Amino acid sequence: MELKSRHYAARDADEAMELCAAKGWTDGLPVVPPTESRISAMLAAAGLEPGLEIAFIENRQVSVTAEKVAINAVLAGCKPEYMPVVVAAVEALADPLYGYHGPATSTGGSAVFMVVNGPIARELDINCGDNLFGPGWRANATIGRAVRLTMRNTIGTLPGILDRSSLGHGGKYSFCIAENEAQSPWPPLHVARGFRREQNAVTIMAALAPHQYSNGLSNTPEGILTTACANMRICAGTGRHPQYALVFAGEHMATMAKAGWTREDVQRYCFEHTRISAAELKRINLLDGAVGPGDETDMHTLVETPQDFLVIAAGGNAGVQSAYIPGWGSKSGSQSVTKEIRRS
Amino acid sequence: MTIQIYDPTIEAKGRHIAYVPRPKSLAGLRVGLVDNSKHNSDQLLLRIAGLLEKDYGAKAHVMRRKISAGVPASPEIIAEFKNACDVVVAGVGD
Repeated sequence: MELKSRHYAARDADEAMELCAAKGWTDGLPVVPPTESRISAMLAAAGLEPGLEIAFIENRQVSVTAEKVAINAVLAGCKPEYMPVVVAAVEALADPLYGYHGPATSTGGSAVFMVVNGPIARELDINCGDNLFGPGWRANATIGRAVRLTMRNTIGTLPGILDRSSLGHGGKYSFCIAENEAQSPWPPLHVARGFRREQNAVTIMAALAPHQYSNGLSNTPEGILTTACANMRICAGTGRHPQYALVFAGEHMATMAKAGWTREDVQRYCFEHTRISAAELKRINLLDGAVGPGDETDMHTLVETPQDFLVIAAGGNAGVQSAYIPGWGSKSGSQSVTKEIRRS
Repeated sequence: MTIQIYDPTIEAKGRHIAYVPRPKSLAGLRVGLVDNSKHNSDQLLLRIAGLLEKDYGAKAHVMRRKISAGVPASPEIIAEFKNACDVVVAGVGD
């Protein structure tokens, strides 16, 4: 297959890596030099012609082709078999519901949180267990990185220029997990979002960093979720109704399963118990004005609907930790999107 | 043996945007204000409208709020401004 991209000569692998860094193509970490054979292997693994448009980003008027996604996947250190996941995630970035411009550019500093579902997650060894959001798994580390490098290199999402994050977070290197479908008390996330269990899919959400909470005291869903909601409610003040991901790790997951709580039960409980009064929002300076009559009973919800909690089973089996992940900004500006992962 | 490495970047395509000529004067014109939904954006825009009316003779203003700063103004807002306004003030910022 013929590649259209400009290419540069380097004397050896060391010089090639340095050239990539010098040209500003990296996230600061070393990259794998994108050679023709590596790029071609990436495209072949996904059965894609280099010129195929994967995404068109309206605000930037940028057409992201399979060739460019493949080059960035090589840079990130992906194995060729990861390419279909990267492609599906890039496709999702261009979905109008995701609203690329807002979360990519905002001072709010979101990353692209990715959840992979279906048999491919196990085939590629995408971690859904211990050290879920930490390092140690090539697939988790490089798939998310490939998406971020694609954003940087093809869509111009460069820190300080078209990425104006005030703070950002570590997930902007990579923020990719699988769901623990084998032990989950619930149907897989992608099934809850309209796909079949045997399909492969990736869900993306513009997200802030994971917030971990502990609860080693409760042996009921209500007990665990009381802690979760107390943590979230404090952060609920923006009143802007983003979506939230709720990630339940092993022991908490087991408690939910034992009690027979469905995903919808969790969503309803959290919707009801993360409400916060206008009075409290004013006291913590997240709503303008002085506390007035009626403010103590004027209740604001954290999210627009219970379904805006994305309930996910993942994390190590040992420990009493779970996490919530606030979405970026508002649902009206960006929503989570699920795309099928297609393999040739 | 040299290694050839391929460029991962893309240059954005240029897009032609047709602009109407700027009015020579704001006297008697109606001003549309696009509130981007950020804190105090409405206050800022109303002050701007006040200045345009007081110092430059603009006739009136109408303000409409976007659902989110990160998305374009809705077709309804654009249609309303096309009918009811001669100039529009819009911007993005924190």
